Amino acid sequence: MSDVYGAVIAEHFRRPHNLGSLESPDAVHEELNPLCGDRIRIELKLDVGRVVAARFRGDACMVAVAATSLLTGMVVGLSLDEAAQFPEERLLAALETTLRPLRMQCARLPLQALRGALDGAIDR
Amino acid sequence: MEEIYPQLEALGRSERRVAMATLVGTKGTTPKKEGAKMWVGEGGHVLGSVTIGGCVDARVIEESEGVLQSGAPRRLKMALGDEDAWEIGLSCGGTVEVLVERLELGGDAPVLALYRRIAAEVDQNRAACLVRLLREPDRALLVLANGDCEGSLGEEALDHAARSQAAALLLRGTSRTERLGTNDPAATSGEGPEAFFEVHSPRPHLVLIGAGHVSMPLTELAKTLGFRITVVDARPRFATRERFPRADELRIGIPSEIVEQIPLVASTAVVLTVHDYKVEVPVLRAVLKSAVGYVGMLGNRHRGRGVLEVLRKEGVAETQLARVHVPVGLDIGAQTAAEIATSILAEVIAVRSGKSGTSLAEAAKADRVPASPAASHRGERAPG
Repeated sequence: MSDVYGAVIAEHFRRPHNLGSLESPDAVHEELNPLCGDRIRIELKLDVGRVVAARFRGDACMVAVAATSLLTGMVVGLSLDEAAQFPEERLLAALETTLRPLRMQCARLPLQALRGALDGAIDR
Repeated sequence: MEEIYPQLEALGRSERRVAMATLVGTKGTTPKKEGAKMWVGEGGHVLGSVTIGGCVDARVIEESEGVLQSGAPRRLKMALGDEDAWEIGLSCGGTVEVLVERLELGGDAPVLALYRRIAAEVDQNRAACLVRLLREPDRALLVLANGDCEGSLGEEALDHAARSQAAALLLRGTSRTERLGTNDPAATSGEGPEAFFEVHSPRPHLVLIGAGHVSMPLTELAKTLGFRITVVDARPRFATRERFPRADELRIGIPSEIVEQIPLVASTAVVLTVHDYKVEVPVLRAVLKSAVGYVGMLGNRHRGRGVLEVLRKEGVAETQLARVHVPVGLDIGAQTAAEIATSILAEVIAVRSGKSGTSLAEAAKADRVPASPAASHRGERAPG
């Protein structure tokens, strides 16, 4: 499987980082790709306007799991605004591969989940 | 067994009283096991069966009429097969004992209340055991899975013994007649009066991972077979009531998380029809940690090997991987979704029964003996 997507995606799919749940998360959002069934939930712990912890749970394809694994590591320490505007290009670069257009939505799924979680937190 | 209350309730709408026949004892090969029921209404309605039709059921119907008139219960001991059948070798070979008793089916009849209570327990996924003295079937003790009791057999010592013996049978999930112990609290059987322990177990649970086209006929067929059915999918467009009108439960979310929340016990079968590794791998990872009785996965050998290899590399033990039936189902040449569903359910039943799923006729040929009684039941009308 690593031949198709590269070593980073393969490694993060096999051993995802930040997998699991947070006790009493401050922000939670689940995002679904309604056609293929990829489903990712991101949980955040926030403190003084910053993301202090992130975890995820989901049954999703290699690209989506790897992207979520990376993203939940990269947003810790960011302000809510910085996290909400996390650049898609930065996440795609971290995957260290070139995705076909059809698979771009897989990588975007965790960003949508993150923004959904932060929308709720910022609204509060 | 779980259909008893609905059937009694239905009979109560058209019949004032019925004769209830309960199979309380079997020896040798018999088509039904202890606990099977048949009702014969005063107005002529017949529901259920204590064999598979034929001479024994006919005799029960005949005796029921006498019981309905007199009100006195009767115990019938019968060989399966009449004299002519014995003569030409068509008998089933077993003997059965049937208790026939009269039940009043008024609005608040005690028996209806009792079976309503049992049905409520079973609906909550809990087993219950109804204990009745064969000499006085009106005396009843209901023993619940948590050890609580309702009713009485008339003597504290009998209740105590019945409770202890019922606990053992609840664990085994089998109904049977036993003599009650009277003095020894640890006794599993004794020298006291005979009692029938009627065990009502929760329906077997079928958990379908994937709300695709194979799961639809699987739900329909499994419902007919008495399964409680949960359909799990991440996609709300697929797991809809319109597509699964007979499913007991539709669960939408992260499938591997949902299966962790479902009690996966020996009577549970999990079938993955989703045909997608991103669900299969995490769901199998979760399911194989449980004591689930059956796990099957739709897919050819190549796909199956691939998915199992991912789990193997994660460190899942070979003994656990060997539990996964992939390709799923018995080899009956299934092509359509309904045929595939039939093949899957046949395998689920075979595994539950500890059988191989071989053709009974072929097995009989291999044994070089005439077809087994069970096979003759399927293929022929019972004599009489």
